[in-house]
Amino acid sequence: MLIPRTRTVGLAALSALLTVGLAACGAASTTASSGAPKDIVIGTLYSGSGSFANSSLPEFQGLKFWISQENAGGGVYVKAFNKKIPIKLVALNDQSSTTTATTEYEQLVTQDNINIFVPDFGSVLTLPAVTIAQEHHMLLFDQTATGSPLFTPGNQYIVLCDLPLSAIWPDPLAHFILAQHISRVAILYGANDFDATQAATVKSVLAQGGVTPVYYQAVPTATTSYGTLLHDIAATNPQAVLELGYASNDIPFLQAVQQGGYHFGMVATAFPGQEFTLIENAVGKAGLSYTYTYGVPPYIKFNNVSEGLGTNAFIAKFGHGNIANVSFENVAGYNTGLIIQAALGHATKFTQLGMRAALFALSGHFTTLDGAFKLNSEGGQVGELLPLAQLFPTATGNEIKIVYPSASADHAPVYPAP
Amino acid sequence: MLWLFALIAGVLFGLYYGLAALGLNLIFGVMRMVNLAHGDVIMLGGFAAVLLFDHFGVNPLITVLLVIPPSLLVGYLTYYLLGRRVQRSRDPEMMSLVMFFGVSQVIEAVAVIAFGNNEASITSAVFGTRPFSIAGQGVPGAWLVSAGVGLVALVLLFLYLYRTSLGRATRAIMSSPDEARAVGVNPDRISALTFGIGVGLAAIAGILSLFMIGGTTPSEGVDLTVTAFAVIVLGGLGSPMGTFLGGIVFGLALMFTQTYAPVWSGFAPFAILLVIMLLRPTGLLGRTVRSV
Repeated sequence: MLIPRTRTVGLAALSALLTVGLAACGAASTTASSGAPKDIVIGTLYSGSGSFANSSLPEFQGLKFWISQENAGGGVYVKAFNKKIPIKLVALNDQSSTTTATTEYEQLVTQDNINIFVPDFGSVLTLPAVTIAQEHHMLLFDQTATGSPLFTPGNQYIVLCDLPLSAIWPDPLAHFILAQHISRVAILYGANDFDATQAATVKSVLAQGGVTPVYYQAVPTATTSYGTLLHDIAATNPQAVLELGYASNDIPFLQAVQQGGYHFGMVATAFPGQEFTLIENAVGKAGLSYTYTYGVPPYIKFNNVSEGLGTNAFIAKFGHGNIANVSFENVAGYNTGLIIQAALGHATKFTQLGMRAALFALSGHFTTLDGAFKLNSEGGQVGELLPLAQLFPTATGNEIKIVYPSASADHAPVYPAP
Repeated sequence: MLWLFALIAGVLFGLYYGLAALGLNLIFGVMRMVNLAHGDVIMLGGFAAVLLFDHFGVNPLITVLLVIPPSLLVGYLTYYLLGRRVQRSRDPEMMSLVMFFGVSQVIEAVAVIAFGNNEASITSAVFGTRPFSIAGQGVPGAWLVSAGVGLVALVLLFLYLYRTSLGRATRAIMSSPDEARAVGVNPDRISALTFGIGVGLAAIAGILSLFMIGGTTPSEGVDLTVTAFAVIVLGGLGSPMGTFLGGIVFGLALMFTQTYAPVWSGFAPFAILLVIMLLRPTGLLGRTVRSV
């Protein structure tokens, strides 16, 4: 159930303040040492508008879907109390603004008595929450912020739920390039932690195979015109061109490849797998055909799971049986719920570090529709790996097929692109 | 020859940036109002093109013509609804900032409701996928179309300003509203028409933005307004020709930086803006708009 943001005043407010004050010494303010809380309160932010809305909103939908599923069954099972407890959701709109997000994260943690702290989508909007969670000793159920700088040895209060650390995202991509004996590689990446980490990983793996990129440049994250950059890249005569950016970069980049009539043996971008419908609508069928991207759920299917719905069951329930109605962000939001469910269902103590300990005990031993859940010592996700996918034209559009590594491939790659 | 391509791309993008900023400068020149919702109108032009293309298969160049009448009407009415009140306030420049900031927020919110938050675009193949050769450099057809539309808009605007009685009245108000009024010019009528033309130019730029910057989203209005404002400050407030010159300087700075130092490409055009402001505070072709 969603708590409306209206507030009562007078005695109710005084009572709430006293409650918060008395509970200030503990991390979870609704937790009474003598008994179970009435509700498990999840506090989160979403972007109702702005540049992150197209990713944040579907992720938020996925989380709400998990809550509705659990509440329909009487609530989420909490091992520390050996009973099911209903879930309440406190959700605030940060409008894609880090300033607003910072204020609202503080509000969630200090005023809203939340038990579970879930940040908004991606590294940019999650970053302010990392410090706040650490200061207030709240475990941050990081959904999709994968930049390595977010995870440090001294911080026990973060767990990455839905994607692997960005440093290991492009591992299959780089090994595919080596396997295809591609020696001329151009890499263009956004000047931010998320993209720079991926670019560095690719460069490092290629170096191990004796390949030095013929073009390796960063551009501002806000870049939307790629024509001149592509002309410069083409001048280096690359066999493979990798553009590592966000969806708002991938669209103009793929547009520019088409506009300029460029043809490379391999073109790879990051987000068509995650936001397939959006990007195909924007760049057209031909603009995506035979390009490569990271393979993500629901296009990678995990039906044999130990927690929650498998991929097909999720598509049936959430997407009404149509995979086109399900995006990766939907899966990610739902998967965040499953990680919360696992933490509550296995923690013997209803404390923030108790939940963390439960997740570390589960690490490597359970699988969801997002893949194998596995944490490193800093709370970073090192399971849920992303294979390489290629987009193949069909009569109606493109379809995503996993092409590498061969163990998880369901289609042979087509290289060079026709 | 990387520099030659950067030069050609810079000029073509500059003409597009000039078009994107032209309406903002025209409105400022005539009314001394800063239309902070300018970028949102560009955004709406982009969505108009996407909707007409997706649902009716309308070529974006046809949409350029189709958006002109409704834009003129909306701008005309907006002036009488909001602009006239702002203009009659003690400090129209400041009041226009406040007023149109609010308008910008409303347009963005309504656009989110109407179109959703996702980026929308039209496949660039609509203008062909075979580049055209200019001085031996392969240039996308969409760039030529956008630059061509910008040039046509500039020529038509100059013909309007210098060859029609309405245009002469518009220049009279730009020069001195009180003297124009004294010789029988109706400032409200001219201002409303100018506002309509400004909105129309922004909507046209929005259609072309799909092919120059990849797509449109409801939240892009603020960024587009900032870019347009930088261009008119570069070229000179109140100068339509200066707007295109400012656009070309902006475009060249962007493309040369993308070629030789890509990571600085978001910074360089604005650094040049600062330098020009230090050397020539009125902009490249600007005239003094305030007197002390």
